[in-house]
Order: sequence, then C-alpha cells, then structure tokens
Amino acid sequence: MSASASGWDRPVDLEKDAAEIPDPDTTEVPVELRAEIEAYMGRYPDTRSATLPALEAAQRLHGWCSPQALEQVACVMRVTPAYLESVATFYDMLETTPVGRHAIYVCTNISCSLRGADALFAAVRDAAGAEPEEFNVRSFECLGACDLAPMASVDGVYVGPLSVDDVPRLLEDVRARRAVLPEKQLARRRVADPDANSREFPEHPPQEPAER
Amino acid sequence: MITFTIDGREVTAPENAMLVDAAKYGDVEIPVFCYEPKLGNPVGACRMCLVEIEGIPKLQTGCSTPAKDGMVVNTQSQRVKVAQQAVVEFLLVNHPLDCPVCDKGGECPLQDITFGWGAGTSRFIEPKRHFVKPLALSERIAIDRERCILCYRCVRFSQEISEDYQLVLVDRGAQSFVATFDGHPYEATFSGNIIELCPVGALTSRPYRFRARPWDIEDAGSVCTLCPSQCNVTLTVRDERVMRVLARENGEVDDGWLCDRGRFAYPALGGLPASAAALADAPPTATPGNGGGRITEPMIRDGGQLRVVSWERAMTEAVAGLRRAGARVGAIVGGQATNEEGLLLARLMREGAGSPHVDSRAAGTLARELHLALNEPRLQAKVSDLEFAHAVLVLDSDPIRDAPILDLRLRKGVRRHGMKLISATREELLRGPRELASKLGAEGEEIVVLWAERLTAGPDGDRAAAALLELAQALSLGDVDGGGLLEIPAHANGRGLREAGVLPNAGPGLADTSDTSDGNGVGRDATGIAQGLAAGELTALYLLQSDPLLEPAGRELWERALARAATVVAHASFLSEGVREHADVVFPSESYAEKEGTITHPDGRLQRLRPAVAHPGATRSEWSVIAELASRLGLDLEVLSGAMASAQLFETVPFYAGLTLEEIGGKGVRWQEREAAAAYPGREQLV
Amino acid sequence: MTEKLLFADIDEPGLNTLEVYERRGGYASLRKALAMTPEAVLAELEASRLRGRGGAGFQTGKKVSFLPKGSIETYLVCNADESEPGAFKDRELLQKNPHRLIEGIVIASHAAGARRSFIYIRGEYVLQATVLDAALEEARQAGFVGEDILGSGHTLSIVLHRGAGAYICGEETALLDSLEGKRGNPRLKPPFPANQGLYQGPTLINNVETLSTVPVIIDIGGARYAELGVETSTGTKLVSISGHVQRPGNYEIVLGTPAREIVYGLAGGPPEGREVKCWFPGGSSAPVLTAEDLDVSYDFDSLAKAGSMLGSGSIIVVDDSTPILDVALKVAKFYQHESCGKCSPCREGTNWTLKTLQRIERGEATPMDLEIMASVQTNIIGNCLCVLGDSMAMPIGSIIAKFKEELEAHMDSARLRPPGTLVSA
Repeated sequence: MSASASGWDRPVDLEKDAAEIPDPDTTEVPVELRAEIEAYMGRYPDTRSATLPALEAAQRLHGWCSPQALEQVACVMRVTPAYLESVATFYDMLETTPVGRHAIYVCTNISCSLRGADALFAAVRDAAGAEPEEFNVRSFECLGACDLAPMASVDGVYVGPLSVDDVPRLLEDVRARRAVLPEKQLARRRVADPDANSREFPEHPPQEPAER
Repeated sequence: MITFTIDGREVTAPENAMLVDAAKYGDVEIPVFCYEPKLGNPVGACRMCLVEIEGIPKLQTGCSTPAKDGMVVNTQSQRVKVAQQAVVEFLLVNHPLDCPVCDKGGECPLQDITFGWGAGTSRFIEPKRHFVKPLALSERIAIDRERCILCYRCVRFSQEISEDYQLVLVDRGAQSFVATFDGHPYEATFSGNIIELCPVGALTSRPYRFRARPWDIEDAGSVCTLCPSQCNVTLTVRDERVMRVLARENGEVDDGWLCDRGRFAYPALGGLPASAAALADAPPTATPGNGGGRITEPMIRDGGQLRVVSWERAMTEAVAGLRRAGARVGAIVGGQATNEEGLLLARLMREGAGSPHVDSRAAGTLARELHLALNEPRLQAKVSDLEFAHAVLVLDSDPIRDAPILDLRLRKGVRRHGMKLISATREELLRGPRELASKLGAEGEEIVVLWAERLTAGPDGDRAAAALLELAQALSLGDVDGGGLLEIPAHANGRGLREAGVLPNAGPGLADTSDTSDGNGVGRDATGIAQGLAAGELTALYLLQSDPLLEPAGRELWERALARAATVVAHASFLSEGVREHADVVFPSESYAEKEGTITHPDGRLQRLRPAVAHPGATRSEWSVIAELASRLGLDLEVLSGAMASAQLFETVPFYAGLTLEEIGGKGVRWQEREAAAAYPGREQLV
Repeated sequence: MTEKLLFADIDEPGLNTLEVYERRGGYASLRKALAMTPEAVLAELEASRLRGRGGAGFQTGKKVSFLPKGSIETYLVCNADESEPGAFKDRELLQKNPHRLIEGIVIASHAAGARRSFIYIRGEYVLQATVLDAALEEARQAGFVGEDILGSGHTLSIVLHRGAGAYICGEETALLDSLEGKRGNPRLKPPFPANQGLYQGPTLINNVETLSTVPVIIDIGGARYAELGVETSTGTKLVSISGHVQRPGNYEIVLGTPAREIVYGLAGGPPEGREVKCWFPGGSSAPVLTAEDLDVSYDFDSLAKAGSMLGSGSIIVVDDSTPILDVALKVAKFYQHESCGKCSPCREGTNWTLKTLQRIERGEATPMDLEIMASVQTNIIGNCLCVLGDSMAMPIGSIIAKFKEELEAHMDSARLRPPGTLVSA
C-alpha cells in the first residue's frame, strides 16, 4: 500500500484542528451516498457494522477512499474519519491513494505463479502502464480461482487461464467498456469433477411433517 | 481468594486476578507490554507474558488467563524462557535500539524486559526500517515510529478510554503504524496520557524531551490543584524544578489518568521555562524583578507601580493597611488555597480584624442551612459511584470543563458497567424536581447527581439548592449506598475551604456564627464585599490566591470595588490583572508543588499536598505569612509549622476530628467514612 | 463408488434459481428439519460426525451444542471468506447452488436457536455475491427466510456482508471484528465465539461447504452420512486441486480416498515428463509433503499423522521444474502481506522470514541463515494470537527441513553468480 510509505514519514500539520466526528452542518454529503450508507446502517444491530459497505460505496463514488470520502462516510455514520482510515487501510480492496478507473487484480499467489502469473502480471502492468487513470493494475493475493490459473479479476469479473498473449485484448475490452474475454470468464466454467452432474439427486417421497 | 502454584511456590491471590497480577502475590514478575488493566480487557497482542500451565498443551498469555484454584503455573521452564526470548527478539526486529539518545532510556519497559528476559544477543541482520523521526503528533507529543512496538496501548486509550477516536492504527501487519486522520494533530483533553502508556520511547513529551535523564530526577507525590478533580500526581523534579507531571493512580480520584492541563501546565508551578503551548492555560505575565512569570519577591505599590521590596517592608505595609481598615476589611480566598490557609485566614479576619467578611465562593453564598443540607454526609456520593451507579444525572454541569477527569469516569461507567447518563439543566430542575426524580428512578436505585456549584450561584441559588434537595429526597439518596449528590465546586478546593470556615455565614465545620458576640456574626459574601468596597463601607481587601477580575461574573462591580479599596493585600503567583492594577501589597505565593497542607476533594476526601520543590526566590509558605501578619496584628494563631496548621484544622473542624496527616497518607481519606462524621452539625434535622 | 452429494447436479442450468432448486428437491430438507425439534436436528448433525470444512475440522454438531441455551440473542455466521491460497471450492457452491447454502443456514439456525444470521463473503467474490443476493431475495419472497418460516415459528434473517480483501478475515474471530465494522484483527480466545462472539452474543460460525452439507444430512440422515468416508472423517469433501496438474479444479471425493488417486487419477498429475516435487495437502498453510507421501489416505487424521493437514481440502501440486525457494518466497510473502500485525511473533516473524528468504534469493546468505530461519519458525509456532503465524511457519519449516540441500545448493550457486549481480560481500 503506497499510502503507508508516505504516512510513516508525515508529520501532522499543527495548524489543523483535531479531526473529530464531522459536523453535519458543514460537511456536504451527496444525497445518494447518504441514503445508501443509511440503508446499510439499518441492516445491522450495530450501525458500525456498515463500515465496509459504506466505504465501498464511497469508493465507488469517489474512485478511492479519499480524505473527503472518509469525512462524508464519517459524517453519516457519526464516527471519526480516523476510525475509517484505520479500517480502510486494513483492507486490500479499499484504495487509500488515487487509482485508475478499472481495477485489474492479477493473482500472483502460488498456484497462479506456478503457471506463469508473474510474467502475466508484468505484461499487464507494462501494457497498462501508460494509462494510470484508466487502469489500476495490482498484483493480488489468491483470488480463489486457482483452477483458472493464471487469472485476473477485471472490475470483479474473473477471467482465466490467461496467457501473455491475452493481455492486449483484455485491456482493449476494458477500454471499450465491453465484456472482458467472454470465453475465459469463470461464469461459463463447468466443474472439473468428471463424475459431477452424472447422477440424479436421489429422489425421496415427500414426507409428511412429523408431530413436533 | 484462591491458592495456586507458581514456580513451585503456593501463592494465595484474589479470585479472577489475571496470572500476571496474581503472580505478584508470590513475588513473581511476568513481563508485559500490551497489558494495562486501566485500558480494559486484555488483548493478548504482544505475547510477552506467555506462561506454561499444567494440563494445557500450548503456552498461555498470563495477562488474559485468570488464576484458578489449584492451577500450576511455570514461568521459569525452558519452554517459557525460549518463548520469552523469542518475543523480545521479535519486538526488537524493527526497533532501532537507539537507547543512548532515547528519552525513555532508563525508565523504559522495553529496556528492562530485554535485560531481564531477552537472549542478550541479536540474530537479526536484515535492514531495519527507517523513518523520519521524531515527528510532531501534536503541540505536546512527539512520535518516533521506528521505536514503536505496536502494543496498541495508545490507540486503545484514544478509542476506549477518552473515546476521542483520533488516534488509530493505520495499515496492516509489519507496515502498521500509529497515526491520526490525514495529518491532523492529536488534540484531545487527555492526549498526554499516551506518553505515559507508551512502553517504549515512541511517544514522548515535547516539553520534557531531553530535559533530564531518569537518574537526574526525583519523584514527588502530590495532588494537582488546577481544578476540582484534584488528580493525584507524581512530580518529576530536577534541581528544584518541576520538569514533568505524571499521573499517580488513585482509583477513588482519577483512575490513573491526568488531563493535559494538569500534565502540561507545569511551567506555572515554577518548572521549565514556559513553552508557548504549555503555558496556554496559565495566566500570562512578565514581572519586573520577578522573572520567569512567577512572582517570587514581595512587592508594594509605589508611585502607581509595583516594585520589589523586602518581606519586612511588605509586611509593614500590609499591617498598616489592615490596621487602618480595622473591621472594615473583607477577604476572598481562592480555590487553590489549602484548608489550613483558609482556616488561618478566616481566623485572621474574624479574630484578628474582627471582620466576618470572608468568602471562598465567588458567586456568593447560600443560606447556611442549605450548605448543611447539601453537604450532609449520608447524601454524598463518591467518585467511583459515578462508574457503578444505575444512572448519573449531570445537572447544570459540563464535566469535561468543570472537572475533566470525571468525564473519563462517566464514559467508563457507560461503557463498562451500563450506567445510564442523563443530563438536565437548571431550568429543568427548577421546573420539576419530582418529574426529574421519577425519570431517574426508572433507571434504578443508585443514582448520582453530579452538579456544579454554579447551579446554586446567583440570586436564585437558594431556590435551586432547595430543588436539588427535593430531588435528592424524592430519590431517597440519603439512604442509598452507591448514590448521592456530588458537587463540582467552582474552584479546586471549594469544598475544603467551606468546611474550613471560609464562608461569611459559617465557621469551621460549617459552624453557626450568627450569634457570636466577638464582632463577628454573619458577614458579607463575595458580592457583598465588592458592594461594600465600592460603596466605601469596607476599605480593605485581602486576596488569598484570588483575583476577582478572573471570575466570569461581576467584573464591573469588582472593578469599582478594587479601584475604591484603600488597601488591597494579595497573595499571588502571577500578576493577573486585578493584582497588577490594584494590589498595594503583593506576597509571592506558593504553587501547589511547594505547598504543604490538605485539600478536600469534592467527594469529601482529604488529600495531602507535599512540597516537591523548594520555594523559589523569597517565596514563603502562605500559612507562615498569615501567621506573621496575625501576630503583628496581635493575634497568636499558634502555628509554627505546616503540620501544626493541619493539626489545628483537624481539631477545629469537628467532623475532621482525630485525623492525622499519616492517616490521610498518599491516597486520602473521605471524612464521611470516619466516625467523626457523626459530629456533622444538625444531622437530625436533615434529609 | 463415487458419491456426489454436493456436486450431484452442480452444473444444472438455473440451479441458482429457486425454481430449479426446488424442482431438484430443494428446501425439502428444510421442511423436514422445521418439523423436527432443534434437539433432533442437532442429533442428526452429531450422528453424521461431520467435521467443519473450513480448515479446523471441528465436529459441527459439537460446535452447535456448545452454544448456551436460553433467551440471549444467538447469531449464526457463515464464513464465506474463502481466501486460503489453493482453495476455491466454496466459490463453486456459492455461485452455482446458493439455495443449498441458504437452506443449510436456516436448518442450522433452527438447531442453534439463532434468529439472525450473516454471510461474510470475501469482497473479491463479486459474481458469487450477486448470485447469492438474488437467491436470498427469492428465498425471502418464498418464505424460506424471514418471520415464522413455513409456519414453524422459527424466524431467521440473513444479511449478506461483503468483505474488502483481507485473508485474516477468514479466521473466525477476525471475521467477527470485520463484520462489526472494525479492522479484521483476531480476538483473544477465550472467550470463544460460542459464548461471546458477534456483538458479544453467542455465535455459531460455519463454513459454506459445512452448511451446504447440512441439508444433505437432514435428507439422508446423519447415520447414513457417517457411513461414507472413514471413521474419523465421514462424508464427502470438496477438494480444490491446482498448481502443476493437468486438470485443476474442484472434485467431490469421499474422505479416505488415497491422495494419489486425487492428484493423478482425477487431476491428471503433473504435465508430461514432470514429477511431483512437493504438494500442499490443505492449502498453503499446510506443511508440504513430497511424492513419497502421495499414498496417504486423504482424510483429517491420516494427513495429521503424515505431518501435515487437510485444512480446507486444497491441494497445490508443485512439480520438479520449480525451485523450492520460489515456493517458499511465495508462501512467506503471502503471510507477511496478510498478517494483521496485532501480535508480535506473527507480525515480525513473517516479516523476518521474508527478508531472509529474499536475501537467500539474492545470494547473500549462508547455511547459518537457514538455521536461524528454522528457529524463527519454531519461535512463531504456538506463540501467536491466532493461527496465521503458524500458517506460514509450518510450511516454511517443512520446506527448510525437507529441502535443505536444495536451498543450500541455491545459496552456493547464487553466491557464485557473476560479479555485478552481487551486493558486496
């Protein structure tokens, strides 16, 4: 996380005031964002449980968890922005520095790397490198799709197995805002087990509910 | 109590004590970093306290494992030693080991534990992380992130004790670091506590940095008198100067915490040269002949200007002024004065000058019966009741301003014990004490009403006091243990001064003074004194560590009063406006770090002030100055030492009877809990 | 005989919809279970001797029985934070058969007396969350979830909660903290979640596969289920196999199947001409085994006896084309990245190990470093707040022990690289 590298060395600005829970009268929060966060807060016995969905919503709106985004969430949730920063920096999918529009997570964990993920990541990174505003290319830990190795998650869509040759088309699909490598999407994959789907689920005569 | 075995020895310890605490009963020390019971439940993060427990295969954290009857614990086995060495080694992986230039050196748990439980050698040869250091975390606190061992204490304080949630851990794993949001400083009422909590040199006091090494300093226990909280403190003293103020834990007073004002305003105690930040709360002054802000020499007004003179000269002037005024003198005693000083000054006025016009309440007094009723011993709540009560009513009071440390106690009550916090204004009380009582009564029996002196101030004060008593009666607070009234006086020792007799309508022990024939009777209260001076009915004013112009109300009246007064004698540490412009004689006054005597906490706890540093310059003890003045005016107050003054206080106030300084000791004694409380006047006719 | 309990109709088109699921007999187990007392449902679970499919392998029935009885609000949490490197079997169930999971949750909540439940799904599983969300809505509409389910008096709400990318949140107490809106730091145990879990209430936490198996057990009966597999590992298990095999993917096996049959028989073994160098039997947290161990019976106890573990049932195969150092580096880097930082041995131990491995890679290490690194692993194991530290130390420790010669040879050759590639000695 690049935010941390600078954070370590950054002194506080003594001219600033303490960062307390934002004042609703002076903190503007987009109406839709507020509504979405409030809906999340209503789902849980403790409103603080809405932190992750609320941060995700703010990131969707602002592109990243910017200080302004955190202040808005803090204002709605009645927590300090520091609390949200602490949470946001803990999770890999929450961005705490500005990033490109489209998230491309290339899995470089062990199973993918055994099948060429490191070269794939380098290829994607290099090919997308000139468009930092368009692409947010990250080497990611295991995405739970080792059967597609090496694979990537493109704005949440899993594609694989990928070869270095797929990279130009992958990026082109993203640029063109169309389905990414449709034939390589996880959604279309059948289970590997050859014996799966081979038997009917055993039929059972409908049972009368027993007396309780 | 339970009995368990530790390192082969049978030890008896309280039930449910965590092993690290229980072990102490057998003189066994289990090292800890993250464990700090003041911060709430243990987190088991640092892993320093691993111990072996028979029957449990894995090593357990002593900080989170309660000692059980029959448990067999080993802290010395090879397995434990290896684990302890391993944890020390891990903690030092990224620690810079810059002890020679570290302010914490010599009083550093990491040093001590490395020495005691580490392997003594280092196997880590990878590069350590390096960062710019130290950085400002606030005006008062510096952070050195290289040294941080991520024990979580400071962030737990911010999140779970002061609940300001400004200080957090950012990032994950070995990259984690302590930070605030987006470069904002950590500014909160209690921020300085994190310095003391830090077990390494990662958080240091900016004013104290590099002022002294631990081997240069001495510790002196006392009590902070900057507000009614009366937090217990340890003063760090070097070369007769207060270099630092630390919390001294007293569960019945401060719970081990200290506010930033108490911690950092010590330049006002005659300590370090003032840093701009630290002095923010202290009265600004610069006195000719009285360097460093503090007044340390006697002064008299000469040609309209104050100038430094000898004690003899100042005394002579004061005596002459007081003689001229005779009984037409009034005295105001400030809230930082001790009980003894108050008692002696009241005697000087009543017996020496024959004037009953003494007051310690800036806003004017209440009828004596109301004082008596409100202070009725059975009706008094103690500080820890705030934590365990079913509900606390915060009445016309703002604890974070009036007595900051109580704010932490209230938060603790709500967070840990489910206490219900309710607040009400003076108007709500006046409108219907019964309705308020039924609202509170719904929460349970143990109710504490935390009220501020201002509730009963002003012309309507008696009415508010009566309503408060009605509320207390409706809740039967006099009969409930764990509930009651707790007043936050307007000044630090407001309660003690009243009990010492610094009231126009009550003598020591709130004694009836109305029918005494020695020229006393009921005197004028503070407002009355001002009116008397302004009207020329009184001609002299005696100010004991008090400046009426610093009070929030009555300024216009006091300006007239001070301008017209023929003689103003003031004991003062700083040239605040009233003193600078109007005092004719100024006696240099002690700071609390120099004082000897007692003060009384809002809940009735008598606490001892002990001199930590010598008097600066020509400063003398207040009691000795008052005694000498009295003697020159022909009254022998019979005090030759601070201890004699205290003894006189304990003899004079009936419900303090039999107290000794030894009994008060380091933690204080609540007089209501002693037998002598039975001597409280007129108990039978009260609530 | 190949029993397919979870995969019997996994690729049936539209199985993720209520209509198809019900047509295939879905929610019949729920009707059956709701007609039973919670105790009777629990008895079936206990009889099945089903062990948790998330990694720890604790008996599910026992776990349910630990929950305190009474009126305190009890929670059920489904752990769908599948993040163990090599694991992707829950993904298959979530995406293709979400109603089976929902059915399992409702049945388990009936047994546990929980009225509120949460599914914590890892944030990366976008498609799966979308599918599950739709399925939940259908189930609510159909009255399988909500107030007074099917007139039984049992009430259950299910909230789908998405994570945001942190492996540690798969650890049950870290998951609870994360679900409460905090950083996903593991909690000190005790108290265990069964006594004090989510929002301080008693909480039952189970894995997707475990809960998806519950309807099967109710359907065929716990005793019948227990007949499958071996004595201490009953039933079938989804195995994710990846790495150097010809047919990576998810397979449903009966516990006790020889590992060789899975690696070679089902997944086709390493590519032509390659040999198995080592394999992780239960995700990257498991100590590695070698080709010599391939005949081990794939079940909880046999793998433990062989010095490793079944974990979540994720086999990663590494063939002889890959230097063992690369494997160690990947493993260490992962755990270093994912360590939450709360406890010292894990935070600093993973960090130290990674730095040492990187130095070995650069050719700046000596065999003594291997010894120190091995001792660092020993110092981590058993001393941490949760299992993440051990999850690195066990595989790394096993790699150092089993591939010492290769690592030493690497050190030698790396030191002999041409000048200029070396940092000064």
